[in-house]
Amino acid sequence: MSDRINTRSMAAVTGLLLEGWALYVVGAPPERWRPALIVREEPTARVLYETMIQTLREARCLSYTSACSNPDDQSSTYWIWLKKPGSFGVDFINDASLKSTMLLDDGRSLWIHWTGDRPTLLLDTERSREDPRSNVYIKKASLAAGGSLRNEVALLGTAWVGLIFDPSVFYGGPGPLVIGMDGIRGRGTDSVQGEECDVIEISLLKARHICYVWISTRDHLPRRFKEIVRGAQVRVTVEEWSNVTVNAEIPPKKLAWSPPPDWRQWDPPSLEDSLLQSGQEAPDFTLCSARRGKLRLSDYRGRVVWLYVWDTGSPQCRAEISGFQQLYREYPDKGPVFLGFNCSDDRRIARAFLRENSVTFPSVLDSSEAATRLLRVDYGNKGGILPLNYIIDPQGRVVDGWFGQEQDPDRVLAALRKAGLGLAQPTE
Amino acid sequence: MRAYELMKETFFRRTYIWIVHVIWLALYGVFWWLFLPEAPEFGKFLFIWAGFFLPLALSAGIFGDDIASGRICVIVTRPFWTGELYLYRLLGLSLQAAVHLLLAGAIVLTLHAIMRKGRVDDLGVWLLATWLLFNTCAALSTSLSIVVGRAFNSLLLLVVIVTGYFLVGLLTIYLGRQPSTDALVSFIRYPWPPFELLYKFARGEYERYALTVGKYSVAKSLACVVHSLMLTAVYSLVGIALLSRRQFSRVRD
Repeated sequence: MSDRINTRSMAAVTGLLLEGWALYVVGAPPERWRPALIVREEPTARVLYETMIQTLREARCLSYTSACSNPDDQSSTYWIWLKKPGSFGVDFINDASLKSTMLLDDGRSLWIHWTGDRPTLLLDTERSREDPRSNVYIKKASLAAGGSLRNEVALLGTAWVGLIFDPSVFYGGPGPLVIGMDGIRGRGTDSVQGEECDVIEISLLKARHICYVWISTRDHLPRRFKEIVRGAQVRVTVEEWSNVTVNAEIPPKKLAWSPPPDWRQWDPPSLEDSLLQSGQEAPDFTLCSARRGKLRLSDYRGRVVWLYVWDTGSPQCRAEISGFQQLYREYPDKGPVFLGFNCSDDRRIARAFLRENSVTFPSVLDSSEAATRLLRVDYGNKGGILPLNYIIDPQGRVVDGWFGQEQDPDRVLAALRKAGLGLAQPTE
Repeated sequence: MRAYELMKETFFRRTYIWIVHVIWLALYGVFWWLFLPEAPEFGKFLFIWAGFFLPLALSAGIFGDDIASGRICVIVTRPFWTGELYLYRLLGLSLQAAVHLLLAGAIVLTLHAIMRKGRVDDLGVWLLATWLLFNTCAALSTSLSIVVGRAFNSLLLLVVIVTGYFLVGLLTIYLGRQPSTDALVSFIRYPWPPFELLYKFARGEYERYALTVGKYSVAKSLACVVHSLMLTAVYSLVGIALLSRRQFSRVRD
């Protein structure tokens, strides 16, 4: 009798332990960022990576199907045809949708059109939503001069899941895996769709981004990418290549398109059209500061404010922020108040970055939904494109706003002057 | 011999059972034939049809029929532990599902070989996940059959699960991510049949979308399998306890 009880107790305890372990493992939250994630360089893995890039750049033609997906059950499939010196065709479709978007660059112009009516794009403003949508196409300058195909797709905002690997690498572009690379290491071998692959791990921007690449041992071309972005949320995306064909003739119709006679060209609004316009009041906010406590925009009334929206995942922000700190230090009273705004980073990563760069100007570090909504809706940054700059006058009204580094120093000076400052030298 | 008889009974107890198997297998073939799906698409179809609907169909009234007819009084007087009756019946269902899924795999592989279209890379994982889901749903339905009259166990389970997931889905959409909805989702995720966890396991989420490559993903997949087997065991224990404690009367239900 006691043997039976003992056996039952043992079984119950073992079961409880096993279930406890299982719940602990399946219920574990996504792994957060820590310094140990930064990859140290391994020369053998570097050779694999360089060989892959070289193979891509040496190819005359390349075509493949790229299936991009994320754990939220979203997927987009891209059919990509690339031909040197500067032609490409890209068709993509979202899972379960019938509408496909087609981008085609014939070396002279970039054409974008759709099966059926034009969908709502990321660039659309309230006014442009009313524009006719049937039988329209977009014509832009060719990317042959050096644009990013990946960014062009992302800018449309119609793909559920964007590309991880920028096909522009084929034409000699640096690609997203180079900027801010910490190191590469090997992660053994694996098989993708029956293809034997070497797996490498690439750490970028101090392990904010980690990318695993499966490189075929047969043709040295990639077969799968897995990108992990540790921002405010941990985001995983997978891109898988199939039907990879190198140097085979690409059907001419894939690389040439001319609009049918009854189609009209439609010019999309620019990204800056969505931003707050000069004279509009800058929406006030009270959000968490990089230091402890809250930071309120209206506390800076009476001073000219340079609102700088940044995150550590943007190489441009990483490069620029030291310059702002220098200006802040050199002109503490005469210059504008630099006010950072970051709502897309893990707080630990962002604070470490500010410490490393000795940034002392005030900055919002708040990844709450309210902060994200404020930026996307109230401040008009629908695409979350960074960096974003706003010059705000002492009365709290917007004087000017722009994305990225302003190439025209006169525009910055004019904005600062209009806001009430007089700077003799360009700020760049 | 007793075990064999009890397991065999789960297949021969009603004529409609083999018809269900044939119809379900035909459905897999038709789905493949018509839609030429990739493995994940076919996997989703198989997961729901064989993992959820098949156990409901096969376990409808598995005890309820015997209780209603009064036959249960004869069975429980036989000289063996009442729990065996439950275990062998569940094992019978599980074995039927295993054979059923092997046949489904064979049908798909044959169609794939003939038509040379679609992909079957992850079919094995989908079949395993489907079998695990079948077992948990079959255990839950069998346990319900002891307390719910006739064949209403399956209907009740169907209504409860569909309504539960629908309401939680609606609340999550309506309220967004909040501590209260997160708690509700956790409540649905762990003690209920592990639809989400096994779906993620089969879809390769713990491998394909894992945060690293290697050991971590294997541990997550293994944890899903363990959790699903544990749930089957818990549902079965509840069923055995109910069966052992219930006093069956000779008066028909």
